[in-house]
Amino acid sequence: MSTSESEDSTGLLRTVLPPNQVDRVFDFCGENGWKLLALGAVVGALPPLLGLEQGYYMTVVSEMYLFAILALSWDLVGGQTGYPSFGNMAFFGLGAYVTAILVKDFAVAFPVALIAAGLLALLFAALIGAVVLRLRGHYFAIATLGVLLAAQQISRNLDITGGASGKILLQVPSGTVFYYLFFGVLIAEMALIYYLSNTRFGFILNAIRDDEEKATAMGFNTTYYKTAAWMLAALFTGVAGGTYSLFNTFIDPQTAYNGAWNVELIAMALLGGSGTVAGPVIGAFGLHTLIEFVETAFVGWQLVLLGGAVIVTVIGFPEGVVGTLREYASEMAYYERGGMAAVDSGEDTEVTADE
Amino acid sequence: MSETTEPDARTAAAATDSDRAVLRTDGVTKRFGGLTAVDDVDVEVQKGEIVGLIGPNGAGKSTLFNCITGTLSADEGRVYLQGQDVTDWPEYKIARAGLGRMFQETRIFGDMTVRKNLLLAAQEGGANVGSLLRRPDDTLIERTEELLDYVDLGGLAETRAGRLSFGQQKLIEFAMELMAEPDLLLMDEPAGGINPSMLENLIEYIRTANEDEEATIFLIEHNMDFVMEIADRIYVLAHGERIAEGTPEEIQNDQRVLNAYLGRE
Repeated sequence: MSTSESEDSTGLLRTVLPPNQVDRVFDFCGENGWKLLALGAVVGALPPLLGLEQGYYMTVVSEMYLFAILALSWDLVGGQTGYPSFGNMAFFGLGAYVTAILVKDFAVAFPVALIAAGLLALLFAALIGAVVLRLRGHYFAIATLGVLLAAQQISRNLDITGGASGKILLQVPSGTVFYYLFFGVLIAEMALIYYLSNTRFGFILNAIRDDEEKATAMGFNTTYYKTAAWMLAALFTGVAGGTYSLFNTFIDPQTAYNGAWNVELIAMALLGGSGTVAGPVIGAFGLHTLIEFVETAFVGWQLVLLGGAVIVTVIGFPEGVVGTLREYASEMAYYERGGMAAVDSGEDTEVTADE
Repeated sequence: MSETTEPDARTAAAATDSDRAVLRTDGVTKRFGGLTAVDDVDVEVQKGEIVGLIGPNGAGKSTLFNCITGTLSADEGRVYLQGQDVTDWPEYKIARAGLGRMFQETRIFGDMTVRKNLLLAAQEGGANVGSLLRRPDDTLIERTEELLDYVDLGGLAETRAGRLSFGQQKLIEFAMELMAEPDLLLMDEPAGGINPSMLENLIEYIRTANEDEEATIFLIEHNMDFVMEIADRIYVLAHGERIAEGTPEEIQNDQRVLNAYLGRE
């Protein structure tokens, strides 16, 4: 195939980075997914051991992990299952408040409070999911946004949540604890979603995204699978919220149900490549670093940048970084694997001759 | 056989026949507002048969299919699958009970690889949690290879299904049904929109599936040559009513059918 490829090469990109090499990288990643994940776990665990002290950089990296958890959770339902939610921060806020209230007002141990936060978010998702997961497309997006706004308003009105002034949490663990907590949750979530994406359960989620009616006609009770994915996403988002409330030492309706974050986490998933495991994580790391940089260098411009990034992504790379690369890598695959030969029922045998 | 026992024997035979039917509809009626799309239709498909369903546009063929699969709920009448009354079941449950369906517009999962499309179709394990959370085993993967080779699409297993041509997608959809091995396969215009050489292949595949795997098939078709060649029996619908039933030869010579197609009725 090398001769025909050099004829086809038009851009510089193709010379510098031939599609088949990208394809080889994807094959390598696909075959060594677990090893790469283990390697990532080791590398991510090292910095505090090698002297990364509590402070600005540790906070930034911890937040990077936090956003990766949020983006990956969103993507499980938005990318893998095709139900783009605009209300994921509702689970985050719920987790944050449950943890803060349990730790501060009921003197519950932090780990126990965190588990309670995750489980309550999961339960909340099951109840909400029964209603909103009946809707599709725009209607689903609007309904989930409604859930978020309602949750925010409720926490503003209640006494137990501290109303509009929120809750201050003073006795909190050290930054290193939070670093490992966020990181541990992220690795666990990546491992779980990576595993699921190769099981029948994962296939069914993708099938719902591609054609829900066909999936139903094939005998899948799609409501059941959608709700399961939605609950799993809520669990991780709730735990992330619970961790964040103590990490931040302060929680109020504005921070717990942060509208800007709600958009950021979607942008991260789309930017990195939705429907994959690596995509949302890469998107979160990349975009958060960028946002953090803009925030320090050009104070107040981060939302403008975010908006710009979303527009550029949606127009230029609707598949995100990972999706675009994957498409690029496999652009010849259809022909190389004899796709055209099959169309012409075997008359064009020379196409497949080198297989 | 004495005259007195004959009616009894006949009803008994009819009863066992109906019990053995893979599919039986009993007076299925579906109305959309003032329009009766399907009017009191009885059909029966026996195990191992290929049965055709023909009729002019708007005769109610697809609506009848939708009532059978549970996509639409019939206003009157019952639908029996393997002798079981499935009329009020949800669509997914009817499908799981052994009803496969190929759509008119060809529907596959475009953003998934061809292999995943096939693996998904396999019914083993059904919906139990254990098999949902396990990776597909080697025998299933071997089966996908076999089926892809069979429909001449070997080598495309890891290609995104959406990149295939329409005809290839149709073959993939058919291979998915072979993977699922349903008790009854409903096909809505399998010959629609594919080129003549691929049509010949498709006829052969359907025949083989019917003869070797004992697949039972109920199909809607507008291509008369195709349906006359492949079907054992044919039902004709017009204006929602069943106007004829019989072998391809009988249907070709039926005056009511000719009138319906020429618009004389």
